[in-house]
Amino acid sequence: MDNHIVEVINVTREVAWLPWAVQYFFLIGLSVGGLLLSLPGYAFAQEDWRALGRVALLVALTCGLAAPVALLSDLHQPGRFWHFYVVLRPTSWMWWGSIFIPLYVTGLLVYGWACFREELQAHGRVDSRLAALYRLASLGGGRNDALIRAAGLFALAGALLVALYTGAEVAVVKARPLWHTPFLPVQFLLTALAGAAGLVLVLNRVAAGNDRAVELRANRLLAGFLGGVMLVGGLWLALGLFGLDATHAEALGSVAGSEAWRVTAVWAVAATALPFAIAVAKPAGTGLLTGLIALHGAWMFRWTVFIGGQTVPKTGAGFYDYALPAGPEGLLGIVGTAGLWLFLLIVLIAILPSPRRPAPAPARAPQAPAGTVAAAE
Amino acid sequence: MDRSRRNFCLGAGAATIGAATVAAMPANAVVPGAASLRRNGDPAHRWAMVVDVGKCVGCQACTVACIMENDVPENSFRTIVSTYEVTEQGKAGSYMLPRLCNHCEDPPCIPVCPTGATFQRRDGIVVVDNTVCVGCAYCVQACPYDARFINHKTQTADKCTFCVHRVEAGLLPACVETCVGGARIFGDLNDPDSAVATLVREENPKVLKPEQGTQPRVFYLGLDPRFQGKVDGTPTLWRPSGETHARKEHA
Repeated sequence: MDNHIVEVINVTREVAWLPWAVQYFFLIGLSVGGLLLSLPGYAFAQEDWRALGRVALLVALTCGLAAPVALLSDLHQPGRFWHFYVVLRPTSWMWWGSIFIPLYVTGLLVYGWACFREELQAHGRVDSRLAALYRLASLGGGRNDALIRAAGLFALAGALLVALYTGAEVAVVKARPLWHTPFLPVQFLLTALAGAAGLVLVLNRVAAGNDRAVELRANRLLAGFLGGVMLVGGLWLALGLFGLDATHAEALGSVAGSEAWRVTAVWAVAATALPFAIAVAKPAGTGLLTGLIALHGAWMFRWTVFIGGQTVPKTGAGFYDYALPAGPEGLLGIVGTAGLWLFLLIVLIAILPSPRRPAPAPARAPQAPAGTVAAAE
Repeated sequence: MDRSRRNFCLGAGAATIGAATVAAMPANAVVPGAASLRRNGDPAHRWAMVVDVGKCVGCQACTVACIMENDVPENSFRTIVSTYEVTEQGKAGSYMLPRLCNHCEDPPCIPVCPTGATFQRRDGIVVVDNTVCVGCAYCVQACPYDARFINHKTQTADKCTFCVHRVEAGLLPACVETCVGGARIFGDLNDPDSAVATLVREENPKVLKPEQGTQPRVFYLGLDPRFQGKVDGTPTLWRPSGETHARKEHA
């Protein structure tokens, strides 16, 4: 006989962590990933990693500066942010985050300055009205590998703490089975690395001279990260599907009944497997495509976890509806954050244009008239 | 458990920072941690509620009374009577389940709070200081009962307080006062002769989501296990509109 329950009246709880939070986790993840990718070339002075490291540093700096703005905007009372700093709340991962974020961003800025100091010094030597400013910014010095390494290791410590807290902050929420898995921090980190490699590929193509060596290396790195994403995702699914672990079975069970979630899962697999296959099969000439898909995948993962996760009722039947508002609580927040990131990128590449690569054949290289660099500045 | 309001000024360093901040800010600003003794509650009591599901008629008088008493904004609810149509063997019936904050003995909303705005009084009532809350909504995520929400008038976390202002005045919570069927029983668990203590002792009531380990202090008599956790059923037919709430106002 027919046995069923229809929910007639219940409360619909709206999404409380807004798309701002998605933007924050996306950007800070890219920043951490970018920093990690920049370390071999700068902090460990591996010259063949230097060009990739420079693009990765752009990723780390632009995303790292935009991310805290998105986080602040996700607070419903952003003017009270100082309340974090007048209490001791070690039981709250969010409180730890309020300590780690300034630590990381400060370390990142010092590291970025140390890395770019050589370029600042070079610009300071050019006959330009801004040369004095460049000399001032370089503090009268040039490349200092010991300083770069020290600052890089400090920033690395900050980045690892940020990666730890962003993962743990969400994973400890027992009330949401989808979030409450030990795999989540690992998935955040791996998708962040894939997204960062993706953004390196995109920036390399559109804003950093389209260096083929960078593209090849970044595509290979991307393939590795995406392989890791698929491996961890597969483990997560297997643990849930075969009931090997109660936490994962509960996480999977909370969304498995939804057609929309099944479509999302297929989409996520495609967005991971496709760039993986392209990057493995043809790492040259495909960077823009694989990079954009990887970026999309990293963002989508966070959107699904945060916005999708909050549409799973804790007590009620079925799922809550979510429609993206057009205003600051939705689309405007996403576009605004992206705009801020773009602005920071434009400022950074205007101040520090990509160094010119040596021409393959000097005899055929166009002769730049004297003062061109100065005029460009 | 964090029974003291918060551990503000645990160390001399924090005290120094706090003092510096107080000196630097306007006189009418609120300092997190500046608690009045009244807000701590009387540890002689442990307030709790027993809901006799069999007596609830689903009139939503409690829902309305709560809104009126606590000025709950439109489309937000501190308590509601979840109502279900249950069909068994071809016969349909109704099932009513009043929901509210469970004022847990081990509330997961408190440790996650980054500012100490949400805390448990010594009488067990879990409250939010909305002058301290930054509206981060971490507690909203951590509550396993969907009992918390962001109040768009105050832009801070909000929830049932057991009508603490009434309880301190010797009155019953508004939802209890108004319940026509006598389904909500409120009292002091520390008083062995109270109705709630007797019911908890003798009737073996259930709680929602016991596997979460939160030790709720809202107990249910006659709770059908199918409604103890997330309900496996067809989603609600009626939803509050999500578009009419007040626009977010940044402080």
